[in-house]
Amino acid sequence: MLKQATALAVIFALAACGGSSSKSGETETHKTDAATETGRTAGYNPDRNAYFGDLHIHTRSSFDAYIFNVRRTADDAYRFALGETIQHPSGFDMTIAGGPLDFYTVTDHSEYLGILPAMDTPGTKLSELPRAKDMFSTEPEKIQAAFQGVGLSVRTGKPIEDMYDLDTINSVWMDNVAAADKYYQPGKFTTFAAYEYTSVTSPDENGGFGGGNLHRNVFFKGKAPVRAFSSLDSTNPEDLWDWMDTQREAGMEVISIPHNSNVSDGQMFRLETYTGEPLDSAYAEQRMRNEPLVEVTQVKGTSETHPDLSPNDEWANFEIYDQLLGSNVVGAVKGSYVREAYRNGLKLQEENGFDPFHFGLVAASDSHVAGGAYSEADYWSKIGIVDGTPVARGSVPFPGTTGWDDQPMDNPIVANAKNWFSRWSASGLTGVWAEENTREAIFDAFRRKETFATTGPRMKVRFFGGFGFDENMLGAADLAHQAYEGGVPMGGDLVGTGEAPAFIAWAQRDPNGNTLQRLQVVKVTSEGEEVIDVACDNGTPDPSTKRCTDNGASVDLSSCTPNNQGASELKVLWRDPDFDPARRATYYVRVLENPSCRWSTWEAMRNGTPPRPDVPETIQERAYTSPIWYIPGG
Amino acid sequence: MTDATEKVRRWPVLLREPLVHFIAASLLVFAGWHYVSGARANEQRTIRVTTGDLERLASIYAAESGALPSGEDMVAMVNDYVRDEVLAREARRLKLDEGDTIVTRRLAQKMTFMVADLAKETVPDDETLHEWYEAHADRFTDPQMVTFEHAFFSEDVRGTAAESDAEAALAALNAGADWQKTGDPFMLQRTYGDLPIREAVRLFGPDFTEALAATPASGSWTGPVRSALGIHLIRVSANTPPHLKPFDQAREEVLADWKDETRREANEQAIQDIISRYRIEVEGINGN
Repeated sequence: MLKQATALAVIFALAACGGSSSKSGETETHKTDAATETGRTAGYNPDRNAYFGDLHIHTRSSFDAYIFNVRRTADDAYRFALGETIQHPSGFDMTIAGGPLDFYTVTDHSEYLGILPAMDTPGTKLSELPRAKDMFSTEPEKIQAAFQGVGLSVRTGKPIEDMYDLDTINSVWMDNVAAADKYYQPGKFTTFAAYEYTSVTSPDENGGFGGGNLHRNVFFKGKAPVRAFSSLDSTNPEDLWDWMDTQREAGMEVISIPHNSNVSDGQMFRLETYTGEPLDSAYAEQRMRNEPLVEVTQVKGTSETHPDLSPNDEWANFEIYDQLLGSNVVGAVKGSYVREAYRNGLKLQEENGFDPFHFGLVAASDSHVAGGAYSEADYWSKIGIVDGTPVARGSVPFPGTTGWDDQPMDNPIVANAKNWFSRWSASGLTGVWAEENTREAIFDAFRRKETFATTGPRMKVRFFGGFGFDENMLGAADLAHQAYEGGVPMGGDLVGTGEAPAFIAWAQRDPNGNTLQRLQVVKVTSEGEEVIDVACDNGTPDPSTKRCTDNGASVDLSSCTPNNQGASELKVLWRDPDFDPARRATYYVRVLENPSCRWSTWEAMRNGTPPRPDVPETIQERAYTSPIWYIPGG
Repeated sequence: MTDATEKVRRWPVLLREPLVHFIAASLLVFAGWHYVSGARANEQRTIRVTTGDLERLASIYAAESGALPSGEDMVAMVNDYVRDEVLAREARRLKLDEGDTIVTRRLAQKMTFMVADLAKETVPDDETLHEWYEAHADRFTDPQMVTFEHAFFSEDVRGTAAESDAEAALAALNAGADWQKTGDPFMLQRTYGDLPIREAVRLFGPDFTEALAATPASGSWTGPVRSALGIHLIRVSANTPPHLKPFDQAREEVLADWKDETRREANEQAIQDIISRYRIEVEGINGN
């Protein structure tokens, strides 16, 4: 009795503390200040280092992750990124492939943040709700109904009153902010206070599935507010930007990064506002002020482009996933992909004088199990017990079947594997060029868009554009320094002088991954797009086809060993043969590795069964840089 | 009068009758049972709200609302309390607590909480700590770190000549040639200070790192060394082996680590002790 009373007293004392801290209005990040005072950290490089990280991680505090049986915390997530082994909800160990990351960010859904764990903790008010009893009952129908109710609320933005306990939500948000502060080690490991804003477009009136994914992750450079704006405040992302503008004015620098435009049903880059109004310059300015970056690849597919949009891009059909979230509805293609958005942005710029799609590129895993699966050879997908086994992911035939021809399609596990999980990817990571590994330097790189996105490996890629560049620079020891002095890096605007610019593209393989095959420039104008091979591992591209010759690289599918030489580095100075000084153009670099086994092939090989026939056996891992935008001068 | 005398005289006779003994004894037993069971029923049907309970209710109210409860508030809280208690007792009487996952889990949580941290927190002596420090030396060891410069010879640029070019450059470098102008441009840094070995693996791959780790500090250039990226010549100016922090310096860390693990072990042991008092039968394994 005494113990219980003490425990209660502690709980109430904590609750009281939570209340008083919210009055202070903002949190402090002392470490940041300390780092600034002591100056530069070890490893500082004025010509910038490449740092790798994952900006999109969920833990038990996310309403969906908890239902997927995820019990790992933000602390566990950061420990995973630092190289420690943590446990998957299905019971096996997860260790990060390729060694620790340089930065990592927990982005739990702000909607009902921490509410499900509280509902599952006996003794809390939330655990007494009838919905809690259903949610944690042993009857799948009840669990599903209760969970879908929550999903519906998140989608419609209409809170379930008795579950929408802001005290709990805000206090778990402050816990996540505190965990980010705790693990931040300037010079070694960077974290940010961050969360996911989870909105989708206009659900239908019956509360059925309404539409496209408009999710965004929100990142604070240093200080974070005591409350996180969620889709329960408004499902309109423009309202989120208003709120972010207010935070910024209060001294809390913030950006948001949208993701999975591929399943936005054409809404992420739609040429109208959320409410269907025409776009205008105020919209474009606000969007770019708040959203300088877009997540282009993650577990739920890659959003660079689609074969229907880019019929002349032989590599466009890469990890395409277009089924709207949690449904079997295939979303609209137009308005869902990044390359088309670049083109529409230029069109809007030329016709109306503004570009709402002037963004750079990053990548992440969106793992819901606290740790990202970036390696094809060691994959655990992302939604806990739901896709935690090769059978659930459909990489091996359902138990009791003899092969891929007799799968029981009426079995929901088999159907979900076919429609969803078999088509998900072991992707991705964000690369950042920054002077040092601190919140300031990395966030500033976000703002400059000096970022690149990879589908998992840690290949590094530089991209510069300038007017005074020449071939001699390629052999100079201080190439990067000269390029910074005489040009702009990825993410920059190259303002015309009348001359033709030159570009330097430079990629280095992941020392612990596969070799490189080719370096490509993707050129986008308001009229079209072009993919140009600019460097090959086997000689120079054919100028008539603008393609490398086939290097014959292949993979031994019985062991998943690549059969190829490949390049460790690819480096080139490239001039656009069709350059028009009077026309805007957007250039970005795509780096392709030689082929390697897809995760599903690795799992089939280990299981001794043939790879699933309706997904590719091999993939070419890749990296995308943020663009350089050529803008005619004068 | 006579009658009365008669009656008085007959008492002792009656007292000697076995039947009377039996009836009296039965009555006694019955009365005793009635008395005891009545008291028990009374106890079962009594909800006692103690001063302690009242104080607790008041303090919860104060913590939640920031004000002391009025008389009315107290009445309402006591009513709620009584209501909960009565319903809970009735529920237990009807055995509604059995087979309820939430109740079971809550009880298990309470039990875990009760047995946790019961072991007396002992302050370990220096000898214990020393033993701990030695047994878990890896936890108190700084990793191997290397300070080096390197010249890079790209196989993508030079092909198979990269290695012989590097060999040719080695002599020149050791004769004083400018290392910054030797070899090909390198995307990352040419100089690394105190680079932890684990970091080197991420930047150059495992083979290069192995060679780097084995190169002693000296003023001279060595190599060629192959990495995942190409061929390198290296000059190592400091190679600090994994370094076990001196005990005095690590003392706090050792103590925290010891406490942490001892506490965790003691807590787990306490639960295991309770489990060991039960016989566990799993159908199909050791049950029926």
